[in-house]
Amino acid sequence: MSSRIFASLLAVIGALVLAQPALAHEQTGVGGGLIRGLLHPLTGMDHLIAMIAVGIWGAQLGAPAIWVLPITFPLVMAFGGVLGVLRIPLPMPEVVIALSALILGAAVAMRLRLPFAAAAIVVAVFAVFHGHAHGAELPSAADPLAYGVGFVVATGLLHLCGIAIGTLTRWPAGERLIQGLGVVIAALGGYFLAQSFGAAA
Amino acid sequence: MNFRLGRLGIAAAILFAQAGAAQAHIVASRLGDFYAGALHPLTDLQDIILWVAMGVLAGSLGAVRGRWLVLVFPLGLLAGLVLARISGALSAGPAMNAGMILALGLLLAAAARIPTALLCAIAFGLAVMRGAANAGDLGPETDRLLFAAGLACAGYAAITLIMALTLAFRRPDAGTSLEWRGIAVRAFGGWVAAIGLMMVGFALAS
Repeated sequence: MSSRIFASLLAVIGALVLAQPALAHEQTGVGGGLIRGLLHPLTGMDHLIAMIAVGIWGAQLGAPAIWVLPITFPLVMAFGGVLGVLRIPLPMPEVVIALSALILGAAVAMRLRLPFAAAAIVVAVFAVFHGHAHGAELPSAADPLAYGVGFVVATGLLHLCGIAIGTLTRWPAGERLIQGLGVVIAALGGYFLAQSFGAAA
Repeated sequence: MNFRLGRLGIAAAILFAQAGAAQAHIVASRLGDFYAGALHPLTDLQDIILWVAMGVLAGSLGAVRGRWLVLVFPLGLLAGLVLARISGALSAGPAMNAGMILALGLLLAAAARIPTALLCAIAFGLAVMRGAANAGDLGPETDRLLFAAGLACAGYAAITLIMALTLAFRRPDAGTSLEWRGIAVRAFGGWVAAIGLMMVGFALAS
């Protein structure tokens, strides 16, 4: 009996030792908002593969796409984010997001060399839909500014990751590897597309 | 023997439970308000984003244009602090702050070569806005002179360091091999502008 009391006492004291003070400053939501924003593009597989595919395709297209992309994409996506914040609906957002992974994956797999303006329009349309999905979550975040910072940084880093992968195109084996990756992204996009139609039905 | 060990364990655990954090700084003593002024902007994400964007913009324009901000920015913070105390207007509002983030981001993303006078005017306007916002932490018992000195020193140190880091990173005289660094700075501007655009939307929605 005494050993049980002793163990309970130790557990209570341990809990007291580990307790931290609660801070009620208005900035306490920054950490939560930042983490939620950072994780939002990373935990949604459809977002993640589409963003990486954008970076890889930009690297395949070369200049000026490879440097215009990281500068303008976040801004176009933020425009979609504003539509999401303002609750302005877009037609079939889940379908278009899944379609973006399918089309961008296929573009990478086939080394599709569209004119820069055409490629920019394709990517911009998809960026608006991805931004809309992220932006819709912004008003409910613990700290909307931190959430915005988190999701823009995460998206930008995913592009950089895609561009870094895309630099493998310099080697023939790397090119084949990237095309294989494009096939995987397109297949996943197809799966999400089928799923979104299933959800809609 | 076990009983003694148990008692010792309980005593040790109680001592741990009683222990508080060691306060080795002098924040709570006579220079506390100086530190309050210096640290207050660094605990606000809006200040951090705006100050960093301003410093990067000035640094990307080169030392000749940017060096004016070493003086203009801290003076603007002081002016904002004084203005807020006199007029009672404490904050420019979320839409104004978001608009400023957007404007700075767009200037960076476009690599706009703005003239020195315009750069100084933007920096002074921003510093007045943020100085006034930081005046919200001034309590009746706060030493205003120490708080203002802390805020101005933080502004001076932050803007000078960020400009210097951007200049060292950009190295515009290094030729085409380091062109990607200019693109990286513009991409950073794109990120800042994106954050600003969303916050403008959020400010309009709320």
